[in-house]
Amino acid sequence: MTKILVVADIKQGVLKGSTSELLSKAKALGAETAVVAVGSNIESLTADLANAGSDTQYIADDASLELFSAGPFTSCVVDAAKQFEANLIWFGFSETGKAVAPRVAAQLKAACATEITDITIDGDNVEVTRPTTANKLIQRIKVNASQLVAVVRAGAFEATEGITGAENAVKLSIPETDLKAIIKEIIAEAGDDIDLADANIVVSVGRGAKDQAGIDLVKELATDLEAGFGSSRALIDAGLMPHAKQVGQTGKIVAPTLYFAIGISGAIQHLAGMNGSKVIVAVNKDSEAPIFNVADYGIVGDLFEVVPILREEIKKIKG
Amino acid sequence: MKILTTVKKVVDVELNIRVNDGAIVEDGLQYVINAWDENGVETAVQLKENNSAETTLVSIGGDDNADMIKKCYAMGIENGILIDDPALANADSSVFAKVLQKVYEKGEYDLIITGKQAQDTDNGQAGIMLAEYLNIPCVSNVVAIEVMDDSHVKVSRLGDAGTEIVELELPAVVTVSDSINEPRLPAMRGIMMAKKKKIETMDLSALGTSIDDLGGADLQSEVVEYMQPEARKSGQKFEGDAAEITAEVVGLLSNEAKVL
Repeated sequence: MTKILVVADIKQGVLKGSTSELLSKAKALGAETAVVAVGSNIESLTADLANAGSDTQYIADDASLELFSAGPFTSCVVDAAKQFEANLIWFGFSETGKAVAPRVAAQLKAACATEITDITIDGDNVEVTRPTTANKLIQRIKVNASQLVAVVRAGAFEATEGITGAENAVKLSIPETDLKAIIKEIIAEAGDDIDLADANIVVSVGRGAKDQAGIDLVKELATDLEAGFGSSRALIDAGLMPHAKQVGQTGKIVAPTLYFAIGISGAIQHLAGMNGSKVIVAVNKDSEAPIFNVADYGIVGDLFEVVPILREEIKKIKG
Repeated sequence: MKILTTVKKVVDVELNIRVNDGAIVEDGLQYVINAWDENGVETAVQLKENNSAETTLVSIGGDDNADMIKKCYAMGIENGILIDDPALANADSSVFAKVLQKVYEKGEYDLIITGKQAQDTDNGQAGIMLAEYLNIPCVSNVVAIEVMDDSHVKVSRLGDAGTEIVELELPAVVTVSDSINEPRLPAMRGIMMAKKKKIETMDLSALGTSIDDLGGADLQSEVVEYMQPEARKSGQKFEGDAAEITAEVVGLLSNEAKVL
């Protein structure tokens, strides 16, 4: 039987949704499932990890693992993969996954695929599908190695209702701290912000907002909708929005149910980060802006005029 | 300090890319320097200008990579190595990383800078794998770098919990984000000087290896087919009175799309 090891996505002590999405897919493929969790003060998550659909939980819990460090994190995943004899090792879409997956693959001499959107298993034949070249193409990849390490793109798999697992916790030994790459500190994002990766609705702001006042105006729409608040590259380059808010090929790739592109022209790099969204709404003054080619609903107009009306109309509907 | 930076020539993603019978249609494609590698080149040149450093670039590909390498010379890179071998035509990230490992071992560099990923494959693997094969530290998705002393650099990485500040012992690999800098436009003087500069071209045997040694004859995975993604179904565009069309769209989001 295929054995799938899912790397738990834990942020600020909370298990993220991608873990149960990946475990649901693993169960749907008929695989035996395990999860590996790395962090500090996470032992209390064992029940959550089981409930997310894992039958075994490999846990590396130590104060030294509180701040992300790629070397020790990799050691924990490799240790779990060896103990479990995993065929497939899956990461949810995250910077941690993107940093650790190639290391794990190199150490295990396994195949590596990032940002996969689908996988098929037919006996020994494993194939994955992934977007490439700024989402302009899709690759179908045949895996020749006996193991595959993959990072799964956000929104690729859905969590199944009523999925079950079993509590069977295995403690991993704690790897040594990496003295050649010492994490001095982590400057956290503002704590009150909704995580872009998890948000059901994302509102992104672009060059059309002009300045801080324009950005604040669009942010109010995000606040009303309890939406994640993102940005196109232009405002980040201008120093008006933080790097962590960038939606695009090089920043966050999001696939929410509803995406608002406000004052964003729609450069290819931005589209690659959001064109997997279910419904896209665009507001732009320029009726020829490329964003309208991907928008389900395009409003040609000045955002300074349209956004306040959007807020009013949405308030009416939401009562 | 000796800096090695990697540059890849990639298809221009701004243009249309077509697929026929599972393969990319070459006709009409144009090739450009991978944007993130250009950020890597700029990073190397800035480090050279602000500290004392020697900069070398390496590229894997055919002799048509020469114009890209000359552009990097014009930006300020001093030495260029081209690994040109037809056996690498189907190589994957792991094989590329092993080629870079051989280049590194010939030159004994202190710092290797790569773009965080290539725009054509979007893999983001080769730089990180290179560090694993060399057993040296690596920080990916770097947005700032400064030299601390001869054997340490301090980098900022955009991670899941925020901006990570990491002190790296050299030799090390960093993969850079486009947020790290704005690559310069080469000045005319640099362009003229670049024309005269040579490129050191090597095949795998000159590098002291072979495709079998690098695992390239037995790839861990291979692309079997390219497909064109399903186009998003064409949407509706509303023009006219802002109040009217905005109310109409909100109504549709609620009643038609059922997402509000």
